[in-house]
Amino acid sequence: MQKAMSTFIVALRQAGLPISQAETLDALRAAQITGISDRQQLKTSLALTLSKSLPHQEILEEMFDQYFVEPDSARLTDEPDEPDESPADAPADLPQGDGASSEPPPEAAAFSPESNLAKQLMSGDGDGIAVAMVAAAQDLNLSDINVFTQKNLFSFRIMQQLGDEALLADINRMANTPVGPKQRLQEKREQLREQVRDFVEQQFLVHAKNKGLKLRESFLQGVKLSNVEFHDYARMSELVRKAARKLASQHSRRKKVSKRGMLDVRKTLAANAAFDGVQFHTRWKATKVDRPKIIALCDVSGSVSRVARFLLLFLYSLQDVLPKVRSFAFASNTLEVSELFEQKTVAEAVAEILQIMGNMSSNYGSSLEDFQAQALRQIDNKTTVIMLGDARNNNADGRGDIWQQVYRQSRRVLWLNPENERSWNTGDSIMSSYTPYCSQVEPCQTLDDLNRILSRLLKYS
Amino acid sequence: MIIQHREKLASPSMLQSNFEGLGYICSEAIATAVYLACQLQKPILIEGPPGVGKTELAKKTAEYLSSPLIRMQCYEGLDEAKALYEWKYGKQLLYTQVLKDQLGDVMRGARGLDESVQRLHQFGDIFYSEQFLERRPLLQALQAEEGAVLLIDEIDKADQEFEAFLLELLSDYQVSIPEIGTVKARSKPIVMLTSNNTRELGDALKRRCLHLYIPFPEPELEERIIASQVPDVEADLRRQLVAFVSELREMSLKKLPAVSETIDWARALMLLNVKELDAAWLQDTLNLLLKFQEDIELVQPEIKRLLNKQG
Repeated sequence: MQKAMSTFIVALRQAGLPISQAETLDALRAAQITGISDRQQLKTSLALTLSKSLPHQEILEEMFDQYFVEPDSARLTDEPDEPDESPADAPADLPQGDGASSEPPPEAAAFSPESNLAKQLMSGDGDGIAVAMVAAAQDLNLSDINVFTQKNLFSFRIMQQLGDEALLADINRMANTPVGPKQRLQEKREQLREQVRDFVEQQFLVHAKNKGLKLRESFLQGVKLSNVEFHDYARMSELVRKAARKLASQHSRRKKVSKRGMLDVRKTLAANAAFDGVQFHTRWKATKVDRPKIIALCDVSGSVSRVARFLLLFLYSLQDVLPKVRSFAFASNTLEVSELFEQKTVAEAVAEILQIMGNMSSNYGSSLEDFQAQALRQIDNKTTVIMLGDARNNNADGRGDIWQQVYRQSRRVLWLNPENERSWNTGDSIMSSYTPYCSQVEPCQTLDDLNRILSRLLKYS
Repeated sequence: MIIQHREKLASPSMLQSNFEGLGYICSEAIATAVYLACQLQKPILIEGPPGVGKTELAKKTAEYLSSPLIRMQCYEGLDEAKALYEWKYGKQLLYTQVLKDQLGDVMRGARGLDESVQRLHQFGDIFYSEQFLERRPLLQALQAEEGAVLLIDEIDKADQEFEAFLLELLSDYQVSIPEIGTVKARSKPIVMLTSNNTRELGDALKRRCLHLYIPFPEPELEERIIASQVPDVEADLRRQLVAFVSELREMSLKKLPAVSETIDWARALMLLNVKELDAAWLQDTLNLLLKFQEDIELVQPEIKRLLNKQG
């Protein structure tokens, strides 16, 4: 039981459920209390203890059905009038009815097979075989299965473990007995192989499918944004959104004690106990929510077109999770996109922005002038300004003076450049004219970079 | 708590049928959750759309175990002074006055400052003692002799700091009061937290709780709920009602009608003596189901179609 549970939990973790040891213990205790005889109840108990949100609960229920396969004993017990033997609920469950109750079919009585497996097959002991199958799978570490090419190998090994060789020998020896039973046994062997294959297939789905996903995700975290393949876009968006949500939940509700607000009676009394109860010192209560105020500018011009999508995606997610974000996109002029982000879904919003401005040549000078007109007045000493862009200006005036003003008014200015540091200031890049007016300049090439930088930013703002 | 009620908490199915006797029709998952919460002595975090009976579950559990229900409504700015304890400042001030009057008697004959201070220490300090403690819901729940059901309603509305403050209570059933020390539960209460998901709760909190999601009930279950709450409704009308409401839940509305709305609606139709659901009645009573004008405007042109679908 414990082993079955722990491999199940490993599989759940691979599917993305954060399950701690404490929860594992809870689940085991819950299973002990409710018992494992009622499949539905076991499922509910595990869902209650192991999953902590609706999406996770759905994943768990689906995995439960795949993992704790109802042993298909009906397929191997072909006696219609057999009393209703409830199929074992969990494969790791001890054999409940050993099939001993069912009478061996008359043909089997005429010929006595020697191998254990053949006996089980003849007597229709589906449960017993199912249990043996699961035990074999555990011995062979089926949960280590990684790629689909291993499926046949594992099926073969499980058959071996079940005693296939002895069964074959039996079948061969039966050559001289009447045709009926031999055919029957052969059919049953085929059915058994089918069942083993199904079982391996299901286990593969449980264990390996998500392993691949995990591998892919950790790989995507580190890959350069400009190199992400088209077919990974969807998964990447999910990752970006996850990252933004995580950042926001870590940082969005920082509080700071300020000097305004209501009188804190308790503290005042405590502070004045020494003065004979005369209210001498006052203590104030108010705490003020200090949420970071962020203005983000994102370059979407042709030169950064491959990265623009992700930068926008990140901006969108950030605005989704933080209360005070104003977002601007620019190529040759600047457009506020905060509202667009609020009204549309992420895919629509990003597509629309890229359609309006994507692939235009960038002009930082005129864009900054636009920005000055639209947002400069709102920048105060609590604002963090984030610029996502490569500073490739097509040899026009970069208007560094506006950026200087932004820098002077704001709390922090952060410039994230999707290009490698070595290519800054080469060609038409005018990074050096902005660098002095930034609190921090960082190359930002992968999702990991983006996470690291912004997490630091939110910590201090 | 569990020891006193062992016979009432024998199995989930027993809970389910007994809740039914109290007029609370619940799914097996809900009954299992309550059962496990009592057996494992862990809090339950209940999530789900508004109006599916999250708060009701706590009430019925308290009623069933015939123990007091202590309810704490969370809101932004809730702090421990309102949730856990507060000192009775007025009385404390009076006490200091009394103390001052008696000071002469206590100090009579003392020589030197050292001796005076020593006598003062002997006098016994009750300024911060249980006598001046104003108990708030959490402390009440911990100190209830016979155990209690503690309902922490809409925990998502409280601040994150408050959530962190709850952790000690939820895992060890104890709280620390700086002036007094640690207060342990006399009898571990059954704790239920509800959340409407207005914000993501912290992992630490979730880890300490069982997680129960109550979805909108299946039509069959909802019919049984209506039957128990509004017994006068005839079976045909009941089926129509429930089918219509579950159709509405498929639409993209601002606020989906929940069980409580279905019950209200059924009651209203009973008062109006409606025997069969038709478009005219629907027009008139739609505002009982839908709480936003936009939703009503969205549904009104669809009424005929939705009704025909059932036919």
